[in-house]
Amino acid sequence: MNENYSQILCIALVVAGLIFISFLYTTEPKTFAEVATKSQVVVGTYEINKEEQARGLTQFRAEDFAGARAAFDRADPEKRDAGTQFYVAYSYYRQGWGRFSNDDALFTSGLAVANSVVVLDPNFRTTDAALGIKTATELKTEFEEGLKITASDFNPMRLTRERK
Amino acid sequence: MTKTEESIDKSDVTDAEIIEIEEQTIIRAPKRSSSEVKTASWVNYLIVPAIFLAVTLLGGFRLGAVDSAFIFLKPALVCLVFSALTLVLYARSGLIDIEGWISQDQPMLTNASSIAILITLFTATVQLYSSLLPEQGLTFWVVGFCFFWTIWNNLFAEFDPKRLLRSMVGLFGLAFVVKYLVLTNLTAAPEGSWWQRLFENPGKEAFTWLLDLPRYSAGTGYIQFFTLSLYLIGLFLLPRSLRR
Repeated sequence: MNENYSQILCIALVVAGLIFISFLYTTEPKTFAEVATKSQVVVGTYEINKEEQARGLTQFRAEDFAGARAAFDRADPEKRDAGTQFYVAYSYYRQGWGRFSNDDALFTSGLAVANSVVVLDPNFRTTDAALGIKTATELKTEFEEGLKITASDFNPMRLTRERK
Repeated sequence: MTKTEESIDKSDVTDAEIIEIEEQTIIRAPKRSSSEVKTASWVNYLIVPAIFLAVTLLGGFRLGAVDSAFIFLKPALVCLVFSALTLVLYARSGLIDIEGWISQDQPMLTNASSIAILITLFTATVQLYSSLLPEQGLTFWVVGFCFFWTIWNNLFAEFDPKRLLRSMVGLFGLAFVVKYLVLTNLTAAPEGSWWQRLFENPGKEAFTWLLDLPRYSAGTGYIQFFTLSLYLIGLFLLPRSLRR
């Protein structure tokens, strides 16, 4: 091989190698499967698993919220789809909501996911007519209000409110 | 009186023309066959950077203790300092001749590829220190100080490349034994509750807690042994100069 060609190959190898190593050390994948999905995100070919998302929706509507979240996690392992993450946040809301008091742990987890939906798509609005809360910002407010203890929490009329 | 004038005085020539002939030194090096040149070019420009890139990739790679998940540890700042000092040491001892790698009279492509190889040497050395230094706690500072002390002493010693290579093998080998044999054997396995581990193996649990030892899968030691071997092979293959 001509020496010039080996020198060009050397430069290409070093540049490509260092970019790949920087990618691995920045994204920190935990398995080979994660290396593949994170590469798809970088290249821009990442897509959610539609079958798992449909399965998650069925479980969500059947009120199996833990199962729904597991299916949504499989559908969107990189947590980059605002629609799927909105359903994850909503599942925390519906599971954690209580007529007397809310489950603070579930509401805190839900708030974190709702925040991530706002970051992914600030103008996100769901088209699902069965959901009472339509945007991530409204859901976020619902979580924040649910976590606060205010005088209105002791209002007996509170018992008549409905889950959205 | 110079030698030339003296020889002219002694001669009886008239109307002679003085022609100054510069002394020339001709070094005849054995000519390398084209296949040898091709092999050397293949090794220098492709094998050596590939080896150093593999070391760069694997140096910070660990396997989690519980699920053997990949862990990519970014190197500590001190590893960059050690690596820079080590490269100075390589240059001082003559293991690499900087002018033979990067020079004004070489074509730009040769200089660019030389810089690329030297960058991989630097990143591989950074990651090797990251591999051999304990990650945190008291042991990080103790082993780090030992590295610094050795490199600092070596910087002012007279070395030839062979001796330096032997010294580096000894230094890195000892550090590997300390981290992946001695300290790993002092680390308690993560199975069971804290109380269970404390009752079953109080010594190991105490060392793990006192020395702040991280728990990794046994595969980590094998991977790092391979990484260290690769680095030393790369160092052995690294030419002193890229000039023919």
